[in-house]
Amino acid sequence: MSKNIIEYTSDLYPKRLKLIQNPPVKLYVEGNVENLKQIGIAVIGSRTNTQYGEKMCKRFVKELVEYNIIIISGLANGIDSIAHKTCLKNSGKTVAVLPSGLENIYPEKNKELAKEIIKNGGTIISEYESNTKADSKKFLERNRIIAGIGIGTLVVEGGYRSGTSVTAKYTLENKKAVFCIPSSLENPKGIITNELIKKGAKLVTTTKDILENYKEITFCKRKTESKDILFDIPLELRKIYININDTPQDVNEISRKTGTTIEETIYKLTILQLNDKILELPGQRFIRNKQ
Amino acid sequence: MLSKIKSIALNGLNGSCIEIQTDISNGIPEFEIVGLPDTSLKEAKKRIKAAINNSKIEFPNKKILINLAPANIRKEGSCFDLAIAIGILIAMGKIPKINIEKLETTIFIGELSLDGKINRTNGILPICIKAKEIGIKTVILPRENAREASIISELDIKPATNIEEVIKYLNQEKEIPKFINNQYIFNEKYNMDFSEVKGQENVKRALEIVAAGGHNCIMIGAPGSGKTMLAKRLVTILPQLTINEAMEITKIYSISGELNEDGLIKNRPFRMPHHAIPISTMIGGGKNPKPGEISLAHLGVLFLDELTEFNRNTLEALREPIENKEIFINRLSGNYRFPCNFMFVSSMNPCPCGYYGDEERECKCSPQEIKRYLNKISGPLLDRIDIHIEVKRLKVENINNKTNIETSKQIRERVNRARKIQQERYQKYGINSNSELTTRIIEKFCKLDKKSNDLLQTAFKKMKLTVRAYEKILKVSRTIADLELKENIEFKHIAEAIQYRNLDKYIK
Repeated sequence: MSKNIIEYTSDLYPKRLKLIQNPPVKLYVEGNVENLKQIGIAVIGSRTNTQYGEKMCKRFVKELVEYNIIIISGLANGIDSIAHKTCLKNSGKTVAVLPSGLENIYPEKNKELAKEIIKNGGTIISEYESNTKADSKKFLERNRIIAGIGIGTLVVEGGYRSGTSVTAKYTLENKKAVFCIPSSLENPKGIITNELIKKGAKLVTTTKDILENYKEITFCKRKTESKDILFDIPLELRKIYININDTPQDVNEISRKTGTTIEETIYKLTILQLNDKILELPGQRFIRNKQ
Repeated sequence: MLSKIKSIALNGLNGSCIEIQTDISNGIPEFEIVGLPDTSLKEAKKRIKAAINNSKIEFPNKKILINLAPANIRKEGSCFDLAIAIGILIAMGKIPKINIEKLETTIFIGELSLDGKINRTNGILPICIKAKEIGIKTVILPRENAREASIISELDIKPATNIEEVIKYLNQEKEIPKFINNQYIFNEKYNMDFSEVKGQENVKRALEIVAAGGHNCIMIGAPGSGKTMLAKRLVTILPQLTINEAMEITKIYSISGELNEDGLIKNRPFRMPHHAIPISTMIGGGKNPKPGEISLAHLGVLFLDELTEFNRNTLEALREPIENKEIFINRLSGNYRFPCNFMFVSSMNPCPCGYYGDEERECKCSPQEIKRYLNKISGPLLDRIDIHIEVKRLKVENINNKTNIETSKQIRERVNRARKIQQERYQKYGINSNSELTTRIIEKFCKLDKKSNDLLQTAFKKMKLTVRAYEKILKVSRTIADLELKENIEFKHIAEAIQYRNLDKYIK
């Protein structure tokens, strides 16, 4: 994949971006250019997210990817990275909009992630010369592109007066929909989402709420092969596996439910875990891994 | 006239024999003690003078010189008061019928109060052990210290209440009977049991492994999940103390002045210092060094609650003692060696707010905060911890669950069996348990078959374990195999051991 420069006049220039108030004159693009034209949703949020934010971001991104929707974000720490990573994990395509030149990836920590994105058919774009450094002004300018490329913006969480609120504002200026995940009133990172909902943004509890908003577009779900889930699980491990479901359970609960001794449960869980049949959550709790 | 009396001076845990020489001559009245005495010993002059006067004997108005030989060893403490007073009285000729031969094999220990009463002192047990070694037969000591000294049953322990009683005994007017502790039975008694802990089966299992292999461990869990309760009960499943081990512990407690009435310490110590503890209290120190918490936990458990709250320097200071199992303290007054073969058990919260991974309460910390919190524990210290256990809060509905809860006694039987296997296996290598295995011995005794090896490799790749986890997993799986009385490490042992590396998964 080579690096391209797309002029405003080019056919490749994303149409939705042309419609915003001050579209960039040219775009520096690395990776798959096609992604910019596809249907995409911007997923944005705080750089210092909470556990809740991470959980919700993963849940929504995973489901959006299932409908072949491109995930657009800013490669920053926190929610942005989580959105990109979850998208890659579920083999979706993602677009990262940089606040700096393509040679000068910001934050530096996410260089590896940027490579991963390109490797998996994603795209990295920027409106700046390749060696431009990031600064606070560019963050805000970048946000208008994030809002510009997508057909809507999903706000996961954000603090008061943050970059997140700016992106949401741009989205509304472009007459696109803003979707907000509700949050606890006690959550300091939930201020923006709740505030936006108050002002009329769409409150979403499932991905369907987002899709409903676009009656003119038909979303198709990716096909998944159905197979007997117990097929490749060794006989001796089945008893434990059957008792693990989507509610996280700890070792003691599983042991009690299956009537196996604690040492046996522990070792069988390890094997199931190493075979990617179950997942371990923080606090040594286990759920089924839905691949 | 000149008199000579024997006594024993303590230097750390070791005693050395000293001779108290008293010379009374005519001249300008004077009372002086030479031979490197410390301040409390110099003050003995005033106490001795008053004690003798108040025992209805007139203190001589002469030139008195006391020499504590050999003169190059520092002497400290108030335990020489009685010996010096008796030396003066003999030199004065107040004890005419004294048996000089018998005096050769007698030592005197005790602090005097002004009315002639003999007060208790610290360090009686190490003194008595040394006394037995150098061939002393009779020990005259404060009545309150008699129980402690009676552990050395070969010695003729003669407890005295005041100086007059000692004079009468030496003058053969009144015999002091030998002190024999009839109630002395060597059996431990803990007032707690593992069966009191409801649920937490996985933690109990992990602690059983910890006890069986002598591994160091850390418990991670939300506030109120029962970490401290579980740790306190760890001593109840450790093997029972042997009489030699009990003496070793009692020696340390004796010089720290922490002994209770009972004399011998029969339970394995459990020390739980507060997190504001300074270094010198933790590892031992002071002008005249005293054993620290690590030595007081010798052969027992040192439990550090809220590990992340401890001062970083205090924690780093633990690194060498954990490896060497003894600590050297160098001071102007000499070098002191204290043993500190303890099991290191600690606990911490999974994140600053304490509820990361909890089902009922939402954690309010950001991933960055959690990372910063966990990084408070240095890598080298973490290297010395074999087992990480996740402790969950018990759900209310399980509190009344009474399905066969094992007692400490049942668990201990298995632990004892596993320990015995280890001792036999490592006889030639000078170690006792799996936790002490070095890389070379691991290669010899922790061989894996192909299937187990593959499992370990996959685990490393998938769970992103750090390299330091490798040997730990081998050691722990060796202990699990020993608990099952298996000669070779099997597939399932490795699989279980992998689950005890939770912190490696957090800290990446």
